[in-house]
This record gives sequence, structure tokens and C-alpha cells, in this order.
Amino acid sequence: MNNVCEEQVFSSVFKANSKTVFNYIYYKFGNEEKAHDAVQEAFVKLWENCAKVAPEKAKSYLYTVANNLYLNVIKAEKVRLKYASPSLEHSNESPEFLMEEKQYKEKLDKALNDLPENQRTTFLLNRIDGKKYAEIAEMEGVSVKAIEKRMHLALKALREQIDGI
Amino acid sequence: MQENYLAKWLSGELSGQELEEFKKSEAYASYQKLKEVSGRLEAPEFDVDQALMQLKNERIGETPKVIALHPFKKFLRVAAVIALLLTGSYFYVNTLDESISTEYAERSQITLPDNSEIILNAGSRVSFSEKNWDKKRSVALDGEAFFKVAKGEKFTVSTSQGTVAVLGTQFNVENREGFFEVTCYEGLVSVTYNDTETQLPAGTSFMVIDGALIASPKPNTAQPSWVNNESSFESIPLGYVLAELERQFNIEVKTQNVDKNLLFTGTFSNTDINMALKSISTPSRINYKLEGDNVLFYAEKTP
Repeated sequence: MNNVCEEQVFSSVFKANSKTVFNYIYYKFGNEEKAHDAVQEAFVKLWENCAKVAPEKAKSYLYTVANNLYLNVIKAEKVRLKYASPSLEHSNESPEFLMEEKQYKEKLDKALNDLPENQRTTFLLNRIDGKKYAEIAEMEGVSVKAIEKRMHLALKALREQIDGI
Repeated sequence: MQENYLAKWLSGELSGQELEEFKKSEAYASYQKLKEVSGRLEAPEFDVDQALMQLKNERIGETPKVIALHPFKKFLRVAAVIALLLTGSYFYVNTLDESISTEYAERSQITLPDNSEIILNAGSRVSFSEKNWDKKRSVALDGEAFFKVAKGEKFTVSTSQGTVAVLGTQFNVENREGFFEVTCYEGLVSVTYNDTETQLPAGTSFMVIDGALIASPKPNTAQPSWVNNESSFESIPLGYVLAELERQFNIEVKTQNVDKNLLFTGTFSNTDINMALKSISTPSRINYKLEGDNVLFYAEKTP
């Protein structure tokens, strides 16, 4: 009954996970085109193997496929992220404050690109996609503790880089 | 503070006391700012509906899982298997190594894909992969051969006894039962024998007889003598000299009362058997009898 081969189920799995698969690959390699391809490839594979993959396993199956796709194949590029900050753009803040904010973001951008790929992916999955450590651990196939370690190191490295320590 | 406290703080898992302590630390304001700004980050845009549509239209098709029954289905299946086997074996045969061998009293010259040359002495065999030559210059050798290697990536000669690696040079490798010799005529050759690497500059030899490393005299020629139809030896046990004689003339050699460990220094012709027999027998003070394809070397019994 609840089978990924059913179009309804498949579509809902797609709607629930495609964006995160896209982001996941994007955080890793900084390449939007490859991230789009990864989504397509991962879901085609899921569809082809729909009879073998239980719906509750579909998620980790997708990340495994997407991850294996570019394993060691492509070189990481710069990750470019936007900021949702409409409040600042139209605020009455002083030019000095806005300038400082801009500089801070530039520093953050650079610091994020300097992070090791696994720390950046963990950090951004949490900050942008709101994924819990346990969910990230499942995606990456490691323990929750390993994810906490990555998160801790990411925060430490980002702060040190931004503050120039 | 507990391990990975920054991660715990971000996920709100710090205890009240720990949180108070962290708030007092110097770095707290920086982390607070990082938390706030990173929470406003956004990934590039991704249109879920469009991606799903693309997937369904382009990759999966309208009715992907409905397969029409077809009377030829079984036939097609068999045909597919046969086609697969044919292509598979075609590729398999295609990737098989090229192999060239010489019989006794025979010699062969081989030009490799990169214009490197191999001259193969009698009773020898080389094999290499022509298809992967660009990726890996590697030759397996059984017997004796002279190599003129074009400059390029590492060129490897593997034998049952040792491996020889070079970049671009001229060298001779002899790999016979109980006998392993590498002579470098130009450039630099690296020989690995029993996991030990030896560097051979031009004009030097590396020789192992019956497992013992033997200091070998320097060659005074630009090519091994056998390339010019002569077999040369310097302090080599007679047994190996006679084995070479057998290979060069495709004859069978027998001995009577002859010490095969006697060291032989000299040269024999690879074209004139009578001259060759004399060249071996005279300095060794032994006699010989040639009958058809059989030669008997014998020593007069000392009184």
C-alpha cells in the first residue's frame, strides 16, 4: 500500500526532500548545476528501485545516492549564499551600521568557504534548512556526536576567522 | 564546560548553569552575532515543482512502470543476453595483452605504441597492453630482451624475479631460470629485487645468480653483444653459457665429466655453430662432438 512506486507517495517524497538534497550537494561543492543534476539522478535511482526501498528509508537512500554521485569527482567551488534581510534593507539604521553589516557578511562568506566541506555542510544544513543534529547524522551516515563535533568546530573556526583571532 | 558546548548551545541543550557561564565569556557576543546572522542565510533558489515536472517528463516518462506484453519479449531477452555476451567478449579480447614470443634460434624486434623498441632474444616472451599503453608503460618479460625506451612516463619491466623501472633509456634485461641480469647502457635504471631498489647508472650491471647478488663487470659496449649476433660472458658459470648456446642454435647440449660451475669468460658467435663450439671448448679445455642437433661436451679424464 504505502509504496514509493505509487506516484502519490513518490511525489510527496520528492516534495519533502528534493530541496534539501539540492542544498546538501550545493553546500558540499558550491555548484548549482551539479546540485540540480544530483536531485534528478537521486530521484531517478529511487524510482528505478522503488520496489526495494521502503518509504521510511527513502530519505537516507537519496542522500547516499546524491553523495556517491560526486564522490571525489568534482572539486569544491565557492559557496555563494544570499541573506534574507529585508528588515535591514529598508530599515532606518545608520549608514555606518549597514556598512558594518555588509562587512560582517563578507567575512562570514569567506569563513564559510574556508571551512572543511563536512563542517560547512553540517553548519548550513542546521542554520539554513533547520535540520536537527540527528537528521544531519542520518544524512551523512555518522553519529550524532560526530555532527556535534563538526558543529562545534565550525562555530569555533567561523568565529576565529571573523574576529581575526 | 561539556564537550562540543558550542553545538549544544546552538541547539539549546546547555544547562542553565552552563549557559550562564557561557554568557559571561568574552566570546559570547561574537557567537551570538554568528548565530543571528547565519540564521538569515539563504540557499540558492530551487523550484521544487519545476524539478519534479522535469523529472517526470524527461527522466521517468509518462507510464514508466507499465510494460506492454509482447510476444517477442522472450526472444528479445535472449537476443539481449547474446548481444551482451558478444560485446563483452569483444571488449575482453580487445583488452587482452599483446604477447610476442621467440622460439629457440629466433629473434624478434618489436616497436611499441610510443616508438620504444624491444629486441627479443631467443627463447623469450614479452607481453604488454597496447590499449592501456598511453596510461601505463608496462611490459612483462620472460627471457632476455634489450630495451630502447622513448622518453616519457615511467616504463616498467616486470619479471618473475625483479622489476625494472626507467624513464627513457637503453637497457638489457635477462630473466632466465636462476639467472637475473639487468645492464643499463644509457640513462638511469631502477631495479627492484627482493623488495630492495638499486639505481643503475649508465654503464653498470646488476646480476643475481642462484639467488646470490654478484658484482658484475661494466659493459664496454653500447648494446648487448647478442644484438650483434654474439653472446658474451664474463665470469659466468658454464651451465648458463651452455643454456644460452642451446637457445641460440636450437640444439640440445649434454655434458660428461664437465664442471658446470666453472666460470667462463668469452664470446661465441650466434651464427656459426662450429665457431661457437670452439669458442666455448678451447678456453674451458674440454672437447665436443656435434651430431645433428645434439652436442656433447666432455672432458678427458685426468690420469
